[in-house]
Amino acid sequence: MAQPFPYLLLPSIWASRNRAQRRERGDLLRAVMFGGIAIAVACAIFAAAFWIAWQLADYAELGDYLLRAGLSWLFLTFLSFLAFSGVVTALSTFFLSDDLRLLLAAPVPSYRLFHARFARTLVHASWMVVVFLTPLLLGIGLARCAPLSFYALAVLTIVPFSVIPVALGTAATLVLVNVFPARRARDILMLMGLFFAASIVILLRYIRPERLMHVESLPDITAFFSTLQSPITPLLPSFWAGETLFASLQGGRDFLHLAALWTTALMLMVGVGAAYERWHFAGFSNAQEARKARFTRLHVLDRVAHRIPLSIARRHLLIKDVKVFLRDVSQWSQLLLLLALVLVYLYNFRVLDLDRIPYMGGVVKNVYAFVNLAMAGLVMATVAVRFVFPAVSAEGQAFWIIRTAPVSIREFLWSKFWIGLVPILALSEVLTVAANELLGVDPFLEIVAAVAIVFMSFALVGLATGLGARYPRFTADNASQVAGSFGGIAFMVMAVLFVLVVIALVGWPSSVYLFYRVRHIPLDASRQAQITASFAAAALVSVAIWWLGMRTGIRALQEP
Amino acid sequence: MLVAGVREAPTPVIATQDLVKRYGGFTAVDGVTLDVAAGEIHGFLGPNGAGKTTTIRMIAGLLKPTSGRVLVNGHDLAREPERAKASLGFIPDRPFIYEKLTAGEFLRFHAGLYGVDGTGVGDRVREMLELFELTKWEHELVESFSHGMKQRLVMCAAFLHRPPAVLVDEPMVGLDPRGARLIKEVFRRMASRGVAILMSTHTLEVAQEMCDRISIILKGRIIARGTVAELRAMAGHPEDQLTTVFLKLTGGSGLQEIDEIV
Repeated sequence: MAQPFPYLLLPSIWASRNRAQRRERGDLLRAVMFGGIAIAVACAIFAAAFWIAWQLADYAELGDYLLRAGLSWLFLTFLSFLAFSGVVTALSTFFLSDDLRLLLAAPVPSYRLFHARFARTLVHASWMVVVFLTPLLLGIGLARCAPLSFYALAVLTIVPFSVIPVALGTAATLVLVNVFPARRARDILMLMGLFFAASIVILLRYIRPERLMHVESLPDITAFFSTLQSPITPLLPSFWAGETLFASLQGGRDFLHLAALWTTALMLMVGVGAAYERWHFAGFSNAQEARKARFTRLHVLDRVAHRIPLSIARRHLLIKDVKVFLRDVSQWSQLLLLLALVLVYLYNFRVLDLDRIPYMGGVVKNVYAFVNLAMAGLVMATVAVRFVFPAVSAEGQAFWIIRTAPVSIREFLWSKFWIGLVPILALSEVLTVAANELLGVDPFLEIVAAVAIVFMSFALVGLATGLGARYPRFTADNASQVAGSFGGIAFMVMAVLFVLVVIALVGWPSSVYLFYRVRHIPLDASRQAQITASFAAAALVSVAIWWLGMRTGIRALQEP
Repeated sequence: MLVAGVREAPTPVIATQDLVKRYGGFTAVDGVTLDVAAGEIHGFLGPNGAGKTTTIRMIAGLLKPTSGRVLVNGHDLAREPERAKASLGFIPDRPFIYEKLTAGEFLRFHAGLYGVDGTGVGDRVREMLELFELTKWEHELVESFSHGMKQRLVMCAAFLHRPPAVLVDEPMVGLDPRGARLIKEVFRRMASRGVAILMSTHTLEVAQEMCDRISIILKGRIIARGTVAELRAMAGHPEDQLTTVFLKLTGGSGLQEIDEIV
């Protein structure tokens, strides 16, 4: 057939156009929220890049050296991100995507299909890097009064710089899928992603970037960057990209490194294209194999579930939900990642040296207790929107089984609630108590925070379960899609508002109480009444949100 | 394998030779040889898991055979994949359609994939939509379609480029009686115009009513082939319905066991 490869991208383009033309409920809210966040982040990146480049200009040669090394380091980070992202995206676009069954049955020459799928992989894998780099390079360019050619060269640099790691990622995927069945390869990649993210977090902690904020540590900065240099650095595309842009920033030209970028990118395209023609079909055939179920002998789960005093239906709903969760690597690997981030968060409290501020230490610590409570609330909301909100939608096309079974909707939804509540309550309690303990906050606040977390957990899990049932997406491909739907966004908005209200209702009486206690002033009756009323209001709001959330969900599902 | 008397075979439009597909130690398709002539509707029957869909997917070019050949309209699928696929229309059991495209957009895109382009495409698309009674849905998103409508849309796509061969996997699933009658009529008309149709189905009445010849597959091997009358004769019960013949050839009804269990 005579159609060039961009023809194969038409469905995605038409689908985007149709989606834009036929707005769904919540699209505007979603656009405003995500658009607002994106613009704010872009502005922050631009301002930070501008400020750093502006400041470094004062240090003449040292400033230039740092900017050059910084660019190289930044591109090195993106290089690793793009390579990993390329592997994950290629697995989906080249092997698991549903439309492949249509396209492979059509008389499309394999090299055209390769080009179309590669273009798609490239866009999906690299858009985030491009979005991040645009304000960053704009900031640097404007701060250094770079010529217009700098921006043109930036485009000419980023394109091959993105192609190289994505092509390498695609090649790695081709090898992986030909060695393992594609669906097993996806699990392996999920775990690789987990280790990748964990190693970045550990690396960040190891480098301790907060040291760089101190003026007296300037020699450390040069030492820090020099440790990033190694004999192989000049062989990496990140170095070539950094050098090309730095030369252009200075008003010069570095065509050698630009040429290295382009020739490597083109060579890899040709190489990976040839590998695709040779191995793709065999790999795709491999991908059709079903994978074996994991955790088929979870006797411990069965035994534990049988010890819990539950009705038979609820017990089996619990066993089913836990097994489905454990068998979906994408689910628990994300939870593990979140746990890793929580650990880093706690570690930060441990290294936080508040005692350096002699008179404010106590006050700051107590303020941090509420910051910590708010953070725990937001972590809870995030976990709830990702894992509890999609619980009803996760029944998917199989929801008819529940509908036709002699199980009431009320029982079904409460089962979902308890399954969500127990781990979230445990996680947030540990997070709050441990952080407060590490900070050394006042024991009164420790108790208040611990109790508040219990109320907040009930409210947020109830709200997530209820709204998840009110706005289910039974046809969604995965939980993230459900979390990003109108209902998910609405939940997040309500959850954030709720957390802020509770923090205010708990924070005000606590601070009044501590103020009086520190000054040894007895609390009068009216103050005591106000404090009690405020705590009671926090508890009441939580219970109301919990109850209303669940009632909304039950009613929505009971509607015929 | 039980095969009815040798006849003078015209050149097959769809042919497989010793097709084998192994998954590790499991052999899903074990030496399947098939041929479907122009104008023939060839039924492909077998119990669940017998290897029907695997065979169909190999012929469609979705699955790489472990060994064996597939020829479509004289083109070797392994050597000339584009030419072979251009001669084929494929109707899968669980069709994929871009949910966010309209029916018209999907068909135009599909036509382009098969090299059908230019001014005639619009007319051809409308013609097919009319044939499958989807005209008024041309500008509606596929996501709003019922399963039966999606099935009919996929059939529109399969016949759009006027292929000489059509592969069908379970055509009647999800169709209402009116839709089923329509499909049967379309298949008959297409066959009368020389299109070779290889149709896998569980609906034995459909096979009995429509197919010129039937191949029965069991555990990856073709165990019988012939016209309905020839299959009846092979089973030793010329008067029986195809269901009885099918059950006899594929290993009994299991009714005795049912009685014991119940």
